[in-house]
Amino acid sequence: MISPGFGLIVFFIILPFLSAIILSFTNQRLISPNPTEYVGLANYKQLLSVGVLTLDPKRNSNGAVVRDKNGALKYPRLRNFTRNNPQYPHIKGMRELFSWNVGDNQRTYILARDVVFIKAVINTLLFVLIVAPGQGGLALCLALLINQKLRGINIYRAIYFMPVVVSIVVVSLLWRFIYDYESGLLNNLLSSLTFGAFESVNWIGDTDFALGSIIVMSIWQAVGFHMVIWLSGLQTIPPSLYEAARIEGASKWQTFRYVTWPGLRNTAVLVFVVITMQAFALFTQIDVMTNGGPLDSTQSIVFQAVERGYGKQDISGGSAISVLLFVMVLCISLLQRWLTQGRS
Amino acid sequence: MAEIKLRDVHKSFGKVEVIKGVNIEIKDGEFVVIVGPSGCGKSTLLRMIAGLEDITQGTLEIDGVCMNDRQPKDRGIAMVFQTYAIFPHMTVRENVAFGLTINKIDKATRDLKVDEAARILQMENLLDRRPSELSGGQRQRVAIGRAIVRNPKVFLFDEPLSNLDASLRMDMRMEIGKLHQSLNASMIYVTHDQVEAMTLADKIVVLNDGKVMQSGSPMELYKEPANMFVASFLGAPSMNFINVEVHDINEENVTVYNPTLSPIKVPHKGRDISKKSQAILGLRPQYLRLVEPSDGILNGKVILTERLGAETIVEILLKDGKRVIAAISEDQILSNGKEIGLQFNPKQVHLFSSEDSKFLSENRK
Amino acid sequence: MSMPNNPDNYGLRLVTRYVVLTVIAIIFAFPLVFMIMSSLKPDQQLLADTSSLKAFLPVGDISFQNYENAFSRVPVGLFVFNSMLVTSVTVVLSLFVCSLSGFSFAYLKWRGRDLLFSIILATFIIPFETIAIPMLLITSKLPWIGLDGFSIGWLNTYRVQIVPFIADGLTIFLFVQYFKDLPVELIEAARVEGTTWWQIYRLIVIPLSGPVLATAAILKFLVMYNQYLWPMIVVQQEEYRPVMVGLQYFFQTFTKGGIAWGEIMAYLSMITVPVLAFYLYIQRAFIASVAATGVKG
Repeated sequence: MISPGFGLIVFFIILPFLSAIILSFTNQRLISPNPTEYVGLANYKQLLSVGVLTLDPKRNSNGAVVRDKNGALKYPRLRNFTRNNPQYPHIKGMRELFSWNVGDNQRTYILARDVVFIKAVINTLLFVLIVAPGQGGLALCLALLINQKLRGINIYRAIYFMPVVVSIVVVSLLWRFIYDYESGLLNNLLSSLTFGAFESVNWIGDTDFALGSIIVMSIWQAVGFHMVIWLSGLQTIPPSLYEAARIEGASKWQTFRYVTWPGLRNTAVLVFVVITMQAFALFTQIDVMTNGGPLDSTQSIVFQAVERGYGKQDISGGSAISVLLFVMVLCISLLQRWLTQGRS
Repeated sequence: MAEIKLRDVHKSFGKVEVIKGVNIEIKDGEFVVIVGPSGCGKSTLLRMIAGLEDITQGTLEIDGVCMNDRQPKDRGIAMVFQTYAIFPHMTVRENVAFGLTINKIDKATRDLKVDEAARILQMENLLDRRPSELSGGQRQRVAIGRAIVRNPKVFLFDEPLSNLDASLRMDMRMEIGKLHQSLNASMIYVTHDQVEAMTLADKIVVLNDGKVMQSGSPMELYKEPANMFVASFLGAPSMNFINVEVHDINEENVTVYNPTLSPIKVPHKGRDISKKSQAILGLRPQYLRLVEPSDGILNGKVILTERLGAETIVEILLKDGKRVIAAISEDQILSNGKEIGLQFNPKQVHLFSSEDSKFLSENRK
Repeated sequence: MSMPNNPDNYGLRLVTRYVVLTVIAIIFAFPLVFMIMSSLKPDQQLLADTSSLKAFLPVGDISFQNYENAFSRVPVGLFVFNSMLVTSVTVVLSLFVCSLSGFSFAYLKWRGRDLLFSIILATFIIPFETIAIPMLLITSKLPWIGLDGFSIGWLNTYRVQIVPFIADGLTIFLFVQYFKDLPVELIEAARVEGTTWWQIYRLIVIPLSGPVLATAAILKFLVMYNQYLWPMIVVQQEEYRPVMVGLQYFFQTFTKGGIAWGEIMAYLSMITVPVLAFYLYIQRAFIASVAATGVKG
């Protein structure tokens, strides 16, 4: 009886997963004249290599620092160090990720061999770190709001949940229009509501705003889902506990702190883990709205995995990214296990 | 109609042994009640007879055939569950006929048997209803009906009445008793309720901690409990136990006493007992009489009185701090703190060994 | 909790609550209202309306012109048919296969059951996107025996969109949890009557599994109807494309004056409104489905 179900899972989840692991140690491409070879950890080294370089400013023959027209210090060109410089073999082929000034005049550079991928990792982590608490907390607030006994409350609940039913592809495209710089609803509406005082923002075309805009939209789309999960957690708390708290004269906050929240612990772990995992898988929003731009400010891990594995037909590179993502997600779920086991 | 033999039956769940070598013989047409506190293994034992649990060790025979490896349906049994286990998506008729439908019995025969069972259980008018429209007692009837139509050699009942309220429980208990008389089939009935055991059984098997404590007719167990467990389990309120020392032994009597108890002479009955040894005296609350303090074998203060109408339950605090319950067969008003004496017929007391809590008598092997 | 001993205060609080609820409801509803309203307006008016609340009202030059244009640009009927076919076949097969697996995990005792079940649970944490590419490689080399004989490669077919999604850990898990909560006596009573396991599945368990079947069906429906990445990479032929992939058509051929937002909104409305309507019609079941995953997890 088990065979069809388990067979399909083996064939279409476990087998692809294992082949991703194997492929990540090869140089496989989608179509390639060369035979596939085992390359060890080369793909991972390529993705994960980072280096640090601290440079002194350029000095002229007198030993004074050189400044450009704006008075900023000039530094030696990075490529002098990263290209064929035998003294710096460990940063060979790397590019600048970001840099900042240290001490008097020195400047520290963080370098990466695969700048785009490291940016994708940073963006994804940022996305996760904002979305998980933001969406989880907002969902809890909504759940508490919707858990009141009011006439017509089900209508509100249905509306809050509505975006969940809509495909994320549709949502992304719709919001791409809403966020549009010139003809978008958000800019135009804000501008006319403030009688022109609001200055248009290029929501998804500006490196400062793009990821944030995607975060807001993602929360808008999925928060209803987790509201319902919180709600089902809330409804498992026996009403007699609330009645007891009321008889004891607990304030609203005390009731939440000592009755509601302890009853929601397992739900909380579930909600945060599910959101975290979904957030790590950030892809469609990027693919539909920004393609990783502007200036890689919205690159994500999964977007990179797909772009390389499919777009650039670099299957081994894409697989290595997938494996790395899996390792991150695995750590999260082990953390969840640890959290729930410690309680039960 | 069947004889059932359990021989040295064991059951382990992983490393935990829950049935520790049980021997039971059930004669054709006998009504056997397996009784014991919750967790004693009685339901597991029944489920092993039904074939819902494997037998770890030992054998189960029905009519001389070893049933250990037979499927439940091939054992000639029918089972009635505590939670009734009637299928909520089928009508009463479909429920009762379920086993027949599964075994591809033709519709005419099916209807005949269902109607017959419905007649026996007086539920002809319920046949087209859904389980959700039935009361607890009616659901229980459906469950029994489903057992009857299969014409089993053995009926198995797993605490069938414990989900019913008190008044209904008594009605159904009587009905099951009548059902046994009219079907004359072997029945094995598991319960934790000693009243059900006493009233229904031809033979009671008292089970505790996976072992048979004693088996025999209800009155045998009541009058000659093999040990303190059986003595305290059967009869309500429970038997009182008082530690005593053996003072003297002669041909006819054993004299026992303790500081709060005047020496009394208990019939010797060939008890395996020696002078100065410790023993435990068992006193059924029903055999205690209230007397003036000066006439009492035991003396104490009344601390609680429960008036049940026909009976009064009195809790008495003895001088040494022990409590004794007396059941007086008339309505009495006693004020708390009243000094009172207790009398009893020494022939109606039980004497147990204080070492292994076994009944002290010549029957003891 | 204030008792209505102070009616004014109570009334005020009530109004405040409804105001808060309504403001939040507007936040959740406005993009969708905007989408539908925009789909009815010609591009010029649509863009002009964005600077006022007219964006949310069916005012001005209202017509179905955008819908007509969308139809001429995209084979909407074909795509909707494809999506419906792929979705419904997958849902039905998934319910059958996963409930059978769940039944086996919940009721039957067999060697390695717990190990296999933990493997299935572990597949939860593999994001689909990370295995899409290896799966592409595998499916491109799979054999198939169909009416037209033997063939290699599943790309550009319905089956490549269906078969990989029939069984999944979450669905099996939902069934296992639900089955374990059914009273075990029902199964035992049936066993005593001499049923086969297949009969127990068909006559006892499935008739009692309405709620979990609905939950699994709704969740699978949402996943399948909203498929995007997978059909994009495995289906190159228009003949087999589902609705979400159809969105690309609006960006491949640019119309004069940039993106034809009106047409896009019309297409989005066409593929979304039926699902939304269906959702609102049985919203209790939808929400209960999600809630079920929460309680079980």
